[in-house]
Amino acid sequence: MTGGARPLRWPCFNRQALVVWYRNYLSWAKHYKSSVAMNFGEPLTNLAALGFGLGAYVAKMQGVPFVDFIAPGLLVVTAMNAVTFDMGWEAYDRLNESQIYHGLIAAPLTPAELVGGELLWEMTRALLYGGVFFGVLVALGLVHSWWAVLLPLPLLAVGVLFAAPALWVAAVARSQEQLFYYYTLIITPLYLFSGVFFPLGRLPAWAAVLIRALPLYHAVVLARGLILGQVGWNLLVHMGWLTAYAVVVAALPTSVVARRLLA
Amino acid sequence: MVPEEGGQAETAAVIEARGLEKWYGPGPEDTQGYAVRGIDFTVEAGRCFALLGPNGAGKSSTIRMISCLTPLSRGMLRVFGMDAHPDAREIKRRIGVVAQDDFLDPDLTVEENLVLHGLFYGQNRTAARRRAADLAASLGLADRLGSAVRALSGGLRRRLVIARALMGHPDLLVLDEPTTGLDPQARLVVWAALRALLREGVTLVVTTHYMEEAERLADELVVMDHGRILDQGAPHDLIRRVAGQDVVEVFDVAVPRVVDAVGDLGRVEARGDACAVLTDDPARVVERLRRELGAGRYLVRPADLEDVFLLLTGKELGE
Repeated sequence: MTGGARPLRWPCFNRQALVVWYRNYLSWAKHYKSSVAMNFGEPLTNLAALGFGLGAYVAKMQGVPFVDFIAPGLLVVTAMNAVTFDMGWEAYDRLNESQIYHGLIAAPLTPAELVGGELLWEMTRALLYGGVFFGVLVALGLVHSWWAVLLPLPLLAVGVLFAAPALWVAAVARSQEQLFYYYTLIITPLYLFSGVFFPLGRLPAWAAVLIRALPLYHAVVLARGLILGQVGWNLLVHMGWLTAYAVVVAALPTSVVARRLLA
Repeated sequence: MVPEEGGQAETAAVIEARGLEKWYGPGPEDTQGYAVRGIDFTVEAGRCFALLGPNGAGKSSTIRMISCLTPLSRGMLRVFGMDAHPDAREIKRRIGVVAQDDFLDPDLTVEENLVLHGLFYGQNRTAARRRAADLAASLGLADRLGSAVRALSGGLRRRLVIARALMGHPDLLVLDEPTTGLDPQARLVVWAALRALLREGVTLVVTTHYMEEAERLADELVVMDHGRILDQGAPHDLIRRVAGQDVVEVFDVAVPRVVDAVGDLGRVEARGDACAVLTDDPARVVERLRRELGAGRYLVRPADLEDVFLLLTGKELGE
C-alpha cells in the first residue's frame, strides 16, 4: 500500500522513472542556456574573487596555492547548488503550483518511480553542471591529474545526496519561505564550513565532527584528491561514505510524496 | 488481460462498489473528514454513469478511489474485477483520468504533454506521437500540437486534458466535472466527444452538478449528498418516479394559496420567489389556478433532474 507508516521507501529506477527523466529533459532543453548561465555566475565569481583575488594574499593551503585548493570544492558546490535549487523549487511548484505531479500520477506511475525519475534527472544535472565547471577548470589550468576522470562518481553521489533532501523538504514545506530556510540555514553553512575554503582543522573540534558526519565534506575531499592527483586509499573511504549516505538519503522522499499525491 | 469468469458479455460490471467509505484524518467519527459514508453502485461496461451532487457530496472522493488515486477506508471497490487501491497498476493501465483541475504541464507543448502520457502507458515514442496526432485531430487540436499549453483557451485546455486521458486507449474514462467553467459552446464540443467515446464502447464515469450534462450523457445516475446516495436510476425513470411528469411554476403568489388552489392535483414546493406544482395533469392544474387565483404567470414545463435534485436534497444544483 502507499502507507505513510513506512518513512523509508527506496525509489524505483525503471522505465517509468526514465519517462519522468525524459519529461525533465524536454523542459530543460527549452531553456538550457539561461539555466547554464544561472548556475555558473556564483561559483565563477567566487573562483575569481576568492581564488585569484583573495588568494594572492593567502599563503599556500595544505601545500597548494589557494585557488587550486578551492577550485575542486567549488566544482562540487556547483553541482550541489544546481541540484538543490532545481529540485527544491521545481518539486514545490510541481506539488503546489503547476501541480503536474498530480497529472503524472494519474497515469500508471507510482510515487517511487516518480522519485526515481527525479533523482536520475538530478544526477544528470550534477554531472552536467559539474562537468561544465570542470571544463572551466581545465581551461584555467587548475586540473592537475588524470585521476579527475573519476569525478563523475562523486558528482553522481552529490546528485542523489542533495536532490533527495530537497525533494523531501519541498514535499513537507507549507510555504516557499520554508524552502528558503532550508537553503539559508542548512545549505549555505554546509557550503561555507565543509572544507571548500579552509581545512577542517580551523574549526572547533565539535564542529569538525559534525561536518565529517555530513556528506558534502567527503565529496569535497574526494574531488580535491582527484583533481590535484593526491590519491590514496583514503579516497575510497570517502567514496564509501558518499555511497552509503546516498543509499540512505534516497529513501527519504517517496513516502512524503506519496502522502501528498495519494491521500 | 484475462476476462473475469462469466464477465465477457457486454453486461460485465466494470465497477462494483459495496459499502464503500472514505474518510480523511482520524476516522469516521470526525464528521469533517467523512467524505463517503457507505455507498453501493455498479457500473456496466459501455455505459455512462453519472454522479450528481452539490460540492462536498463525496463525488470527487468516489472518483479518486475509482481512479486509484486514494485508498478506500472501508468496504469494497472492484474495478475490472480487481481491488482498487493506489498501487493497482493493472487498473491504472486501463483507465484514463480527467481531473477537475487540468494538471497540464506548462513547460511542455501540447504534443509533448500527450506523448509523455503515452510513454507512461508503455507506448514507444513513434506510437505515442501517432496516437497524439489522432486524438488531436478528433478533438480539434490538430493545429495546436506545437503550441505552448499556456496559450490555450479554457475549452482547448479541457479538450487537451481529455485527449491526454485517452492516450492509453482506456476501457474506462473517469471525468470529474469535465465541463465546469466552460462556455456553452465549449461544453457542447466536450459532450460530443464523450458521446463519440460511448459509441466506441468506452465506459464513462462522470461527476457533474450540471443537470443538462447528466441528462444528455448518463445512462444511469446516482444523486449524492453528504457522502450518501439518495437515489439512483436512469435519468428519465428517476424524474418520473421522484418528480412526476410535469411542473407548473407559479410566480408572485404565496405558497399556502397555491396549495389551497391545487388541492390533490399535485404537490406544491416553494422555489425561491416562485412555487412549483409537481403534477401529472398540468392542464387541469393551470385551469384550477386560473379559476381560483385569476390570470397570473403560469409556466408549464416537463419535470427535470433539477426538480429531482431539489426534492431529494432540498438544495439547488450547482450550489
